[in-house]
Amino acid sequence: MTPTEPHVYSVEETRIIRARQAARSRVMGVVLVGLCILFFLITIVKVGVWG
Amino acid sequence: MTTATRENIMPAEWRDFWALTKPRVMSLVVFTALCGLLAAPGEIHPVIGFTAILCLAMGAGACGALNQWYEADVDAKMARTSKRPLPAGRMDREAALHFGIGLAAFSVGIMGVAVNWLSAGILAFSIFFYSVVYTIWLKPNTPQNIVIGGAAGAFPPVIGWTAVTSDVTLLPILLFAIIFLWTPPHFWSLALFMKTDYGAAGIPMLPNVSGQKVTRNQIFAYSFPMAVAAIAPFALGQAGWLYGISAIVLNLLFLGLAFNVWRNQATEASAMKPEKKLFAFSILYLFLLFGLFAFDRMLIL
Repeated sequence: MTPTEPHVYSVEETRIIRARQAARSRVMGVVLVGLCILFFLITIVKVGVWG
Repeated sequence: MTTATRENIMPAEWRDFWALTKPRVMSLVVFTALCGLLAAPGEIHPVIGFTAILCLAMGAGACGALNQWYEADVDAKMARTSKRPLPAGRMDREAALHFGIGLAAFSVGIMGVAVNWLSAGILAFSIFFYSVVYTIWLKPNTPQNIVIGGAAGAFPPVIGWTAVTSDVTLLPILLFAIIFLWTPPHFWSLALFMKTDYGAAGIPMLPNVSGQKVTRNQIFAYSFPMAVAAIAPFALGQAGWLYGISAIVLNLLFLGLAFNVWRNQATEASAMKPEKKLFAFSILYLFLLFGLFAFDRMLIL
């Protein structure tokens, strides 16, 4: 059995990977900011500030 | 042995994770849950109401992801599902599994902490029911899969209701019954003209196992208890005239289309116009019925 050689990414593949990672990071950032706002609002409602 | 292609060693796009959640199914879940929430007696703070619906959407998304994780090989055999992220090789299965479990745990946890634990418990049970009882157990083993499995899709209005009231009464049970009894005619009409596709994937849908005549009989038969359940809220004085008249008209139309399906003898999908009409109308039927129910209840409460 011959050892498998590690896959070497081409320049184009690397560009696609970086673009996907950047897009996923942006979406994750938006989701996390949204959740922070939601958790803040839930806390405010639960402690009764808004009645 | 499978070999990783260059495509599937790429990190999946965020759009593929979104596609895993079956957004179109999620929209129906969100809508029926919202109707249950609006129709319930009592008050809920808009932030908590929004959180309840968001948790339900995430729970539905988790069901979609876990379903696609388990059925990736089956999906690859059907034209309708072969372009999904897993069978198309745009995502590895482990990522889909982790995404589904994470979304399920997160949705149930937030529902419990922010809304109430009864709603969280029903949400957890419905995710388990869809992912394990329906997807893993019923769907590959019995032509009655969508009859029992339909219960999973019938929970959202109940959860919307319990988010407000923290208890289960007759009306949410009727909402559950409407979707539960609507599911067989809805899916079997699709299965009739998609028969070849399901057959190729080895899924024992009723038309493949018992034949088209039995399926058409069952579609027509299920339409009657569905109509009774749909009109019951009005008959029991739990909804007003607006809903009552609308429900009677919508159910008469549904029964008429189901009757056309029952009469149809066609064996080729191209000649199955009544089945296609019933399938399309069944979606409109559910949106209108639940929308009018919520509107009517908001007027009388």
